[in-house]
Amino acid sequence: MESLKKTIRREMWYILFLVPGVLLFTFAVILPFVSGIRYSFTSWDGISRKLTYIGWDNYVNALQDADLWTVLGNTFKYAIILTLLVNFVALLFALLLDSYLPLRNLFRTIFFLPSVISVILAGFIWSYNYSQGFPRLLANFGVDLTSPLGNPDRALYGLIIIAVWQGIGAPMIIYIAGLQGIPAELSESARIDGAGPLRVFRNVTLPLLAPSVTINTLLVLTGSLKVFDLVLVTTNGGPGFATEVIATFIYKNAFSSFKAGYGMALSMIFFVILVIVTIVQVTIFRKREVEM
Amino acid sequence: MNKKLGLGLSIALMTTLLGACGGNSNNNNSAASPTNAAAESASPATESASAPASEETEPVTISFMHFKSDATDGIAKIVEQFESENPNIKVDVQPVKFDDYATLLKTKLASGDIVDVFTLNAGSTTKLYKDGGYLEDLTDQEFMKTFDPGVLAEQATDGRNFIMPLNAGPIAVFYNKKIFADLGIEIPTTYDALIAAAQKIKDEGKTPFALGWKDGWPLGMWLSRDFPSNTVLVEKQTDFFDKLEKGEAKFADNPAAKTTIAHALDMFKYGNKDQLGVDYNGAVDMFAREEAAMMYMGTWPLPDIEKKNPELFATGMGYFPYPFSNDPALNKLEFNPDASIAVNSKSEHKEAAFKFLAYLASVPAANTWVENVKTLTYVKGASTDIAPAITELQPYFDNGQLYNSQVFITTTIDWTTQFSQYVQKVFFNKATAEDIIKDLDDWVAKNHK
Repeated sequence: MESLKKTIRREMWYILFLVPGVLLFTFAVILPFVSGIRYSFTSWDGISRKLTYIGWDNYVNALQDADLWTVLGNTFKYAIILTLLVNFVALLFALLLDSYLPLRNLFRTIFFLPSVISVILAGFIWSYNYSQGFPRLLANFGVDLTSPLGNPDRALYGLIIIAVWQGIGAPMIIYIAGLQGIPAELSESARIDGAGPLRVFRNVTLPLLAPSVTINTLLVLTGSLKVFDLVLVTTNGGPGFATEVIATFIYKNAFSSFKAGYGMALSMIFFVILVIVTIVQVTIFRKREVEM
Repeated sequence: MNKKLGLGLSIALMTTLLGACGGNSNNNNSAASPTNAAAESASPATESASAPASEETEPVTISFMHFKSDATDGIAKIVEQFESENPNIKVDVQPVKFDDYATLLKTKLASGDIVDVFTLNAGSTTKLYKDGGYLEDLTDQEFMKTFDPGVLAEQATDGRNFIMPLNAGPIAVFYNKKIFADLGIEIPTTYDALIAAAQKIKDEGKTPFALGWKDGWPLGMWLSRDFPSNTVLVEKQTDFFDKLEKGEAKFADNPAAKTTIAHALDMFKYGNKDQLGVDYNGAVDMFAREEAAMMYMGTWPLPDIEKKNPELFATGMGYFPYPFSNDPALNKLEFNPDASIAVNSKSEHKEAAFKFLAYLASVPAANTWVENVKTLTYVKGASTDIAPAITELQPYFDNGQLYNSQVFITTTIDWTTQFSQYVQKVFFNKATAEDIIKDLDDWVAKNHK
């Protein structure tokens, strides 16, 4: 009993240092979230000062809303393709830049650079590239190119290219760090046992790199499910709703259509989906990791 | 090392937190006095009467947010003149792109961030803000008497004026005179003639229409004029939008919906390459470089065209009303109010705000506006000389052959954005006209739940 009290007194210090963070989290995340839940049960238009409670109507309407399912389809298509591509490309670059390449620090910087500029800027640069830069450049070689962002069949892929270009930096660094954490003697002994480079990669490097794979797929997947800024500045959901994702859909409902209450309900549904996706993903990947 | 880092981090956190708290308490103070604001707004007349007395008080700053971001320089000139005449008042101008304006304004007002003076469009948006209690009643202000009673009546909300009319202008088709003359094309007065002209231009390997539909609003602007014009003037469904708002009318029962979709397809077909990949600026560029023969637009690209191609601006281009139908008698000149000005009912510097509005309503300010922003103004006695191309429209002004399709639209639901997205599906054969008309009706029904 005495010792418990002592421990508490000793640990109080740490709690004090936690207070600012907890306060910030409470006021910036939890409170808005709770008031968001409240608004999701109203028919608030975003301007008026009256709140009319309408029970579960927003949620019922949302689940019956065919647009929500199309939009979710777009979002997952974008997120899954992007997650696979970003991880594949980032791992490839990491393997390349972890080997003894001349000027590898320079290359690391160059490949990381796109991550430094803001998404908004990248969006503007690429819409210009797509609509003016590339067509004019390729016109010199007799290729007739139109902006993929202006065609509903290709717009989503146009966005994915921008996101890959911009998104590989951070995962690449994590992979490089992961690769450097793998003891050299393991791959060396595998090589002595007669394994080729591919075999070494598959049986030694990749299993030991699994924690990095978990964190990278998790970060990229949840990040790309929440994509908003890139879509808003490049296509704004068009053409013909081909690139409408859940975040822009919520935004348009809440702000352009003056249905803030409905938008909140959609946000809550999206929140639940995100939580489920994350839990499922973490459990699957954790099982496959190898502890050293 | 780690401990130091931790300490540094917590200090940083603490600072941001405290900073945030400070910001909050300020906001609370200003937001917590709706009763005061209401009491103040009840007596606008007495307030403006007491304005001269407070002349020698300390300088105040009023914020002015507007959506004419392409006219930032011109507005800066007006503000500069106003500030030199009223040294006690500073105006903090916040230009916002039109597409983002509504959201930003709404967020600012809802979060208690007070914008003293801001632009609004007359009609349903003004009503929403008026019903939210954010607008000061301007009806009895002295400067409102300088405007035409007809204009005031058109921009009134529930019988009172909450916004001051400011600028207006035609929305029509710019055309390249040289291309038209070379191909022997007369100015089209019917829709079929317009498309025949477009075909001729296309056959010559030129681009008939510069579209710029990558941005949402150019397509939306065209759609929200072609459709109501055809609905009310051609199909004579005068109460269509009233009924649509109440859920009693359907796009499926309005033949104009099909007409507009067909027109949109024509526009798309005769538009520039990569219609949905080029934005508004790209379209203006194309027209200024004389690559495209026509562009459906308001007068606002004029300063831009003047900069890029002065020769075209001075003599090379004309402007004709967009013929939405095949009856030349119906195809009048579309003339719309643009930005109107509102004063926030919770503003702490209303006298200064009223002074600013009174200045905007004066002839010198209106002339600066006309000269630099290149749109017409409602201020009486102001110049109308905005560009050589516009003088061609003089007969329409003289004969009163003007109309405003926007007064037909009485809905508060934003069907335009939805319609423009759906119609893009038709461009790429992702849906038929029937499909999207049904989708539109479903969408409207969903919004009335």
